[in-house]
Amino acid sequence: MKKTTFLSITMLAFALVAFRPAATKLVSKAGHISFYSHTAVEDITANNYKVTSTIETTTGDVVFSAPMQSFEFEKALMQEHFNSKDFLNTKEFPKAKFTGKITNLSAIDFSKDGTYDAAVTGELTLKETTKPVNAKGTVTVKGSSVIVDTKFNLTLSDYGIVFKKGKPSTNVAKEVEVAVHAEHSAE
Amino acid sequence: MTRKKIFRTVILSAIGAIILSAGIALYLFNKPHRDVQAATVDYTLSSSALVEEYLASAEKANDKYLSDEGNSKILAIKGKVQSVSVDLNGQVVLLLKEDGEKAGVSCTFTAQTNEYAGRIQPGQVVTVKGVIRSGAGYDEDLELYEDVIVEKCDIIN
Repeated sequence: MKKTTFLSITMLAFALVAFRPAATKLVSKAGHISFYSHTAVEDITANNYKVTSTIETTTGDVVFSAPMQSFEFEKALMQEHFNSKDFLNTKEFPKAKFTGKITNLSAIDFSKDGTYDAAVTGELTLKETTKPVNAKGTVTVKGSSVIVDTKFNLTLSDYGIVFKKGKPSTNVAKEVEVAVHAEHSAE
Repeated sequence: MTRKKIFRTVILSAIGAIILSAGIALYLFNKPHRDVQAATVDYTLSSSALVEEYLASAEKANDKYLSDEGNSKILAIKGKVQSVSVDLNGQVVLLLKEDGEKAGVSCTFTAQTNEYAGRIQPGQVVTVKGVIRSGAGYDEDLELYEDVIVEKCDIIN
């Protein structure tokens, strides 16, 4: 009897350890998103180092949340324009969000160090508009951390960001390049 | 006054007006960023109180703390340091959060203030002055609580 109890306890313990779902949701609380706008008049860049994101390695789900007022521009006036009601209205819409899925998950081995090409498809919400976004990038596995890098173009008018009057119409490109870099680790 | 004199006065004042407006435009275009540390504090409160305010109603809190053009309220926040880290931009980040709280206040320092902030140890109680960028709240997609984000910080006690 004693032997059977011991055996079953051992087996139960083994089963619990072996089949325990691994912690597959990785978090980054300080990702970097930048955007770049090029026109003949001027080049504009803005940087945001306060992006929160998650990557679920078993399902390929990725989520990014960016506090809009953390975008910093070289010129104070541009930063004010960016935040204003005419542009991104960041008081009313303080965060932008992307939710998506890695579509070629089988090509990425999260248990093996290396850099893998990745394709992501999902939806980006800016202000009150949500639009589909497809992006290509890389996933770098380095020990227990997973680094996501991607670049994609964004058409501002898709999100209702249009410039009817004033300078921005000539100084801001219709399409801006967005670059994302986030280093995820277990919480 | 002769006609010539009037004409000259008009032309000169027009030129003057053009130079003045160009100067103002150039000044506005190149105006410096707000110096957060030199500005007066709008609200003094604890990190817990700020988080609670956001968890109670993010809408109300945003309305109170965020400003239209991004120059949001300047806060002096007292709290217990839970962690000290460095972000991808090389700035020191102190997370003010009491044990057991759902969210905290993430304070990012600057090139001028990193050195002192970087010597702070977890567990210390500090008062941080900075500008609020966004509030705390539970995000269903991330499935986690986001912290209040405060930047351009310095320790003021």
